[in-house]
Amino acid sequence: MKILILFVFIFQISCVNADEIYNLLKIPNLEIYKLKNNNNIRYLSAKGNFKIGINKNITCEEVNINNLNTKFPLIEKNLNRYNSNFLNKIKLKYVVFCENLFISEINTGGIPDIKNRTLILDINFNKKYFERMIHHEIFHMIQNTHIKYFDEDKFSSFNHASFNYAECSTCSNRLNLDQYEKTDGFLTEYSKSIPSEDMAEIFSFLMTDKETIEVKINNDKILSKKVNYIKLNLAKIDKNIL
Amino acid sequence: MIKTIRASKSEKILFIFLICLSIFAFTSFFLLKNKCLFVEKNNLSNLYFNEPNNIAVMNVECGNVIIELYPDISPKTVERFKILIEKKMYDGSAFYKVSENTFVQAGDIEYGNINNLDYSKIGSGNSGLGLLKSELNNDFKFTEGSVGFARTTEFDTEDSEFFITLKEIPIYQGEYTPIGKVVYGLDILTKIKTGNKAIYVLRPDYIKTFRLLNSN
Repeated sequence: MKILILFVFIFQISCVNADEIYNLLKIPNLEIYKLKNNNNIRYLSAKGNFKIGINKNITCEEVNINNLNTKFPLIEKNLNRYNSNFLNKIKLKYVVFCENLFISEINTGGIPDIKNRTLILDINFNKKYFERMIHHEIFHMIQNTHIKYFDEDKFSSFNHASFNYAECSTCSNRLNLDQYEKTDGFLTEYSKSIPSEDMAEIFSFLMTDKETIEVKINNDKILSKKVNYIKLNLAKIDKNIL
Repeated sequence: MIKTIRASKSEKILFIFLICLSIFAFTSFFLLKNKCLFVEKNNLSNLYFNEPNNIAVMNVECGNVIIELYPDISPKTVERFKILIEKKMYDGSAFYKVSENTFVQAGDIEYGNINNLDYSKIGSGNSGLGLLKSELNNDFKFTEGSVGFARTTEFDTEDSEFFITLKEIPIYQGEYTPIGKVVYGLDILTKIKTGNKAIYVLRPDYIKTFRLLNSN
């Protein structure tokens, strides 16, 4: 009997849930949260835990629907700032909500997947940085779809010659997301990790706290060059985003 | 002198039980096993179509599934679909991807034919006719019985695989190229073998023949 129960259990967890959303996005255990929106984003939520990616290194858990209902207006307000034309250009159509998102056992707020036009968001991500995190992840989609506009070597050249970024975003312990009082070319400690994170941090601040950034760049020439570079190239994609 | 031995009451009950059991086993084997028993076969001679040039007839185990094609919505795709039908390339094509009461998918010409099933590659085969550009239509609703051209995760990768929805799937609107709609025989498709909870079907059902009405 125990063997039979074990067999049934193994069978249940090893089978991919065969449904229409999995067929489209290759993420199991999703259901529609909100389908019709002005900018054509389709919101989906995890009705069960899922593991995806190479070696199933991306994991996330089922959402508590009450938790999502509470946080959704804030998420929607931020995503509604992007029009459908812009979202088409950056290949974002689906936003997947789940809780406790990990990539290779590192907790993260969001994971963009351009191939499937999807952004996975952890709705439990630190409240303090939550809105910024949404725009930060969107910048990664902007950069990945418009690499020629956001050249990392060109962007890195704005820094002091003695400064070096880390090899990768998680290879350093530069992870703090709090804004520096004295910026000196970088808005947060995380900005110092790699060029794309630096750009994404600038973009996220421009989307959430533009006034402060405009003040900061008056006294920070490096940051000023970086902000202008982001603004200039973003305007090539859509003049009305910032 | 031979003495007549009368069956006892318990023997009579056992005898009746055995008869009932054999009747039950017989009906189960011949009736319940026949999944097509109560399915309407759709005799073509009894049906009338406004645009017979755009009618395709897919014959599967339980009968005919009749599909109206929409060249006005997806001209290039319907043209490709008709070529594949005319060349009889869908004959023997397996319904290798089936989600119960949700959709059925077939049409892998290279690795999904019942005579040459390759489970390790199924779903990645080509027809040899090249890839097509997606002809997306934001107004086309994938209601019950809609036929769409399948693709990989990327657009413009349509080749020969197609799916038929068994329920309304709103999330597919604007995502897949519409080909047409099933006008008769949707209940036949609900009898196609599923993979239980897995999306891929082991020893799948298949298309016997697929013809355009006018070529019948």
